Amino acid sequence: MTADLLRVLSLWRGRAGWLLAGMAMACGAVLAGLALLGLAGRGVAEGVTQAAVFTGGAAALIWLRPVIILRPLLRYLERLVTHAATFRALADTRIWFFRRLAERLPAGLGFRRAGDLLGRLVSDIDALDRVYLGALVPGVAGVAAVLAIALILGAIDPALAALVALPLALALLLPPLLAPGAAAAGQRVAESQGALRAVVVDPLTGIEDTLAAGAEPRASARVAREGVALAEAQRALARRGAWGGAAGALLGQAAMLGALGYGLAMGEAGVAAAVLGLFLATAAGEALGLMPRAGAALAAAGASARRLFEAADQAPPVAEPTTPAAMPKGHAIRIRDLQFAWTKDGPPVFEGLDLDVPEGARIALLGPSGIGKSTLASLLLKLAAPQSGSITLGGADLATLPADAVRARIACLTQDARLFDDSIEANLRIGRPEAEEGALWQALDRAGIGEVVRSLPEGLATRCGEAGARFSGGQARRLVLARALLSEAPVLILDEPAAGLDPETERAFLETLGEATAGRSVILIVHRLVGVERPTRILRLAAGRAMPAMG
Amino acid sequence: MTRARQGGDAASALLQREARAARGRLGLPVGLGLAQILIGIAQAWLVAGLIAGLLGFGAAGWPALGAVAALALVSAGLGVAQERALLAAGEAAKARLRADVFHRLLAQAAEDSRSVGERAALVVDRIEALEGFLTRWLPAAALAIAGPILVAGAAFAVDATSGAILLAAALLVPVAMAVTGIGAAQASRRQFAALDLLSGRFLDRMRGLPTLVLFRRQEAEAEALGRAAEDLRQRTMRVLRVAFLSSASMEALAAGAIACLAIRHGAVLGQNHPDPAGAIFCLLLVPALFTPLRAFSQAYHERLAARGAAAELAPLLENEAPGGLKLEEVPDRVVVSFRDVRLTYDPSRPPALDGLTFRVLPGETLVLAGPSGAGKSSILRLLMGFRRPDAGRISLNGQDATLLAPAELRRLSSYVGQRAHLFRGTIRENIALARPEATEAEVEAAATAARVTDFAKTLPQGLETQVGEGGFGLSGGQAQRVAIARAFLRDTPLVLLDEPTAHLDPGTEADVLDSLRRLCTGRTALIASHSRAAQRALGRVLEIEGGRALGQRMAGE
Repeated sequence: MTADLLRVLSLWRGRAGWLLAGMAMACGAVLAGLALLGLAGRGVAEGVTQAAVFTGGAAALIWLRPVIILRPLLRYLERLVTHAATFRALADTRIWFFRRLAERLPAGLGFRRAGDLLGRLVSDIDALDRVYLGALVPGVAGVAAVLAIALILGAIDPALAALVALPLALALLLPPLLAPGAAAAGQRVAESQGALRAVVVDPLTGIEDTLAAGAEPRASARVAREGVALAEAQRALARRGAWGGAAGALLGQAAMLGALGYGLAMGEAGVAAAVLGLFLATAAGEALGLMPRAGAALAAAGASARRLFEAADQAPPVAEPTTPAAMPKGHAIRIRDLQFAWTKDGPPVFEGLDLDVPEGARIALLGPSGIGKSTLASLLLKLAAPQSGSITLGGADLATLPADAVRARIACLTQDARLFDDSIEANLRIGRPEAEEGALWQALDRAGIGEVVRSLPEGLATRCGEAGARFSGGQARRLVLARALLSEAPVLILDEPAAGLDPETERAFLETLGEATAGRSVILIVHRLVGVERPTRILRLAAGRAMPAMG
Repeated sequence: MTRARQGGDAASALLQREARAARGRLGLPVGLGLAQILIGIAQAWLVAGLIAGLLGFGAAGWPALGAVAALALVSAGLGVAQERALLAAGEAAKARLRADVFHRLLAQAAEDSRSVGERAALVVDRIEALEGFLTRWLPAAALAIAGPILVAGAAFAVDATSGAILLAAALLVPVAMAVTGIGAAQASRRQFAALDLLSGRFLDRMRGLPTLVLFRRQEAEAEALGRAAEDLRQRTMRVLRVAFLSSASMEALAAGAIACLAIRHGAVLGQNHPDPAGAIFCLLLVPALFTPLRAFSQAYHERLAARGAAAELAPLLENEAPGGLKLEEVPDRVVVSFRDVRLTYDPSRPPALDGLTFRVLPGETLVLAGPSGAGKSSILRLLMGFRRPDAGRISLNGQDATLLAPAELRRLSSYVGQRAHLFRGTIRENIALARPEATEAEVEAAATAARVTDFAKTLPQGLETQVGEGGFGLSGGQAQRVAIARAFLRDTPLVLLDEPTAHLDPGTEADVLDSLRRLCTGRTALIASHSRAAQRALGRVLEIEGGRALGQRMAGE
C-alpha cells in the first residue's frame, strides 16, 4: 500500500507548489486556533485571579483581537488552496491513466468490464484526493500543533509537555497504525462498487437483448445482490472508522485530563501552566479530531491506487522496439511463414501464412467468419505480435518500427469501429484532423452517406450519440467508412466495409472504391465479392494460410 | 427556467419523501447524539470546577477528574453506537431506491438517449449521494437545533449574558450559511452535470479506444479529457469558494464568541468575579456549542450533493412505469397487422415510418427489404414494445398491441437485433438467458440449430467459453449466431430478426438461413434483411422506402 501511495505522490510532483502551499495554510490555521484558545484561557484566568503567576496575561486579550480575524481567514484559505491543489493533481492523474491505457490496452477493453473501468478512473482517482485532503494535510497540521504544544509547555515544565503532548502524538499515529487493517476493508468497498457498476452497465449496454429475453428481473436481482455486498463492505469500513474516531476522541480527552492532573498534583505552582495546557489540549483536540478517520481514508485511497496501477501496469501487447529503425520510404507489405495464436495453448490462427501486398495493390481477402481475417489486421497494426515468421513494411521488419509510425502508414476500418458521442464532423476528423470541409463531404459522398448528412438540419454538427445510436446501423457504418477513407495513410485495410449496407449502396461504394483509394494499397477483407471490386489479387484464407482464389 | 424550477420542486419533494420515510429510523442515532452533547456539558462543568479549585475557588479534586474520565469513556461508546445506527438507517433506503431507479431505467432504456455511463452513475453514485443526506444531514440538522439550545441553556443558568452571547452566535450560524448556501446550491447542480459529462465521455472514449489508437488520436483525446477535467475543476472550485465561506463564517463566529466571553469574564467582571467556576464553564462551552454546528456545516455539503442527485433522480422516479394489460397466456398463433402506422424519432428529421400498412399470417415469413434507414428496424422495435407508434394501429390477432404492457408484448417474441449483445458469462449462459428454465439438452439443441456448436467445438472450453462484455472473444458473425440460438431456445409464436446474416460469410449464411427457415416454420416471422440470399430463401418480401411500403414480391422473384 505504501508503495502505491508513494507512487501517487510521485505522479503529483508537478503540483508540489500548490500542495505544499495548502499544507502551509493548514499549519497556520491550526496554530491560530491554538493561539485563540490559549490567549482566551489566559485572559480569563488572569482576569479572575489577578495573580502574579499569569505574567503577561494582560497582553493576552489585546493579542486576541488579530487572532480572531486571522483564524477564520486562514481556515478559509487552507480549504481553498488544498482543494485547488487536489483538483489539479487529480486532473493530471486522470490524463496519465488514459494515456497509459491507450499504450497498454490499445486493442480495447476485452474482458475488462467497461463499467468497472469507468469506475476505476472516475471514483478511484477521486478517492485519491483523500491521500492529501484526508491524511497529509491534517497530518502535517497535527504535527505542527503537537510540536507547538510540546515546545510551549516544554519551556515551562517538560513533565507537563509529556502529559499533554504524548496522547496527542499517539492520536496522530493512529492513522498509520489503523491503515493496514482498514486497507482490506477499503479495497472491498472499492471492489464492490466496481462490481455493482459493472452489473448495472452490462444489461443497460445490451438493453434490447435484456428486454427481448425478459431478463429484467434477473438483472435487478443481480444489482440488488451487489448492492447488499457493497453495503456489507461499507459497514465493515465504517465500523473501523467509528472505533478509530472513538480512540481519537479518548486520546484528546486524555491530554486534557493530563493537564488537569498535573495541576492537581503540583498545586499552586502549576496552576498557570495547567490552565494553559488545558486550553491548548482543547484546541488541539479540535484540530486532531479528524485524524483517526484519516486511517480509513488512507486505506481507501491505497485500495484505489492499487486498482488504478493494476490496470495501468499491464504489459503492452506488443513491446515497442528499444532502438526503432528509421521508417522506410516504401509501404509494400510482405509476410513470410507467419505463425500466430491468440493464446499460448489456443488454436493457431496462422500456420505458415505468406502474403504480399505490393504498393498500390488491391488485395481481396476472403474466408468464413472466425478464420483470422481480422487477426491479420491486428498483426499488421501491431496490436498483436506473431509468434514466429516475419512481416515487413517497405522492407523494414515491423517489429523494429514504432507502432505509432506503423499506424501512420496503415489505416484500418475495423469491424468494431465506433462512432463517438460527438458531432459528425468531430468523428470524421479523427481520420484526418486538419481536413478541409470539402474533403469531409467528399469522403461522406464516397461512403454513400453525403445525401443523408446534407438532409440533416444540423448537417456536420449533428451529434452521433453513443456508438452512433442516433443513426441506423447502416448509416453508422457508412460514417465510420467515411472516416477511414479520410485517412491519408498509404495502406488501407477495410474489414467488411459494406457490412450492414443494402446491396445498392454496397455496390455503389465498391464501384467507387478505386477512385477513393487511388494510389494506395488496399486490403479488402470480405465474406464474398460482389463483382465490382476489381481487385488485383484474390486470396482465400483457409487452414492458417492464404491461397489464390477466384471471386 | 420553469422546467428547472419544476425539476427543483421534484427534487425537494423526493428528498422530503425520503426524509419522512427515514424519520423512524433516525430517532435512535439522534437520541445518542443528544446524550453525547449532555455529557459534553457535564464534562465542561466538572472541568470548570477543577480549574476554579486550582485557582483557589472551591475544592474540586481527583474524584471530579475521575468522573470526567468516566464520562469520556461513555461518550466514546455512544459515538460508536450512533455510527452503527446511522449506517443501518441508510442501508434500507439505499437498497429500495437503487432497485427502483434501476427498474425504471430498464423499463424506459430503449428510449433513453443518455449514455450508459451517465445512467449507471444514477444507479451507483447518485444513490450514494442520497445516503449522505439521510445519514449525515438529517441527524446533523436535528442536533444542530437541539444541541446549541441545550448548551446555551446551560450557560444561561450560570450567567445570562454568556448565555445570550452563545445563543446569538448559534443563531447567526444558519443565517450565514443560508446567505452563502443559495449560490452554492445552483453551483452544485452545475457541478454534477459536469461530473456526469466527464463520466459519460470517458466511458465512450474507453469503449472506442482501439479506434482512437488506430487513428493515432489517443494523445489528442487525452488532451481533450484534460480540458474536460479542467472544466470540472473550475466548476467545482466555484461551488467550493462559496461553500467554504459558510464554514469560514462559522469559524469567525466561534472565534468571536470566545473573544466576547473572554472579555466579559476577564476584563469586564475581572478580579471580583462572582462565579469564577462559571466563567471558565462558559468559555469551555464554546467548543461544545460549535461541535454539532460544525457537523451540520460539513453535512450541508452532503445536502447540496443530495439535492443535485435528487434533481436527476426525481424525473426518473416520477415517470410512471409504462402500464398496460397482462397477457393471460401466450397464444400458439399470431397474426400481425400494421395499419397506417407512423413513427417519428426526432421531429427535425423525416419520420421513420410514414403510414405503413401490411399483414403477416401465422406460418408466414415476411422479409422486410429496403435501403438502410428505410424503417425496417423500426417495425421490429415497435413489435418489441421498445417504442410506441405515434399514430395508426398495430394489432396482434385483431387486438390492439399497444394496450399490452411492453414486457407482456415481448413474451410473444424472439428478437435478434442488428448488434446482438453478449453479456459477460459463458456462451451457454448467454444462450440460456432467453429461457433460464431450459434444460442443458435444450440449450445444446438451440446451439446446434444456430450453428453455434460448429465454432464452439473448436474452442477448448466449448460452450463454457467465457465471453466478455460486448462479446469479446468471438467474431461478429459468431456473436450473431449465439443471438440466433437464443431465439431458437425461446420458442415463441412471433420471430423478429434484424439483419440476422449481416456479419456472416456466404457459407455460414447458407447454413444459418437453413436453420432460420426451420426456426420460422409454423411461426409468424418478420425479418429485416438486405441479403439477396435471405430474401430468396425465406419468404414474401416487402419493399420499404422512406417508411412506406413500396410493394411486395414473393420469394425468389
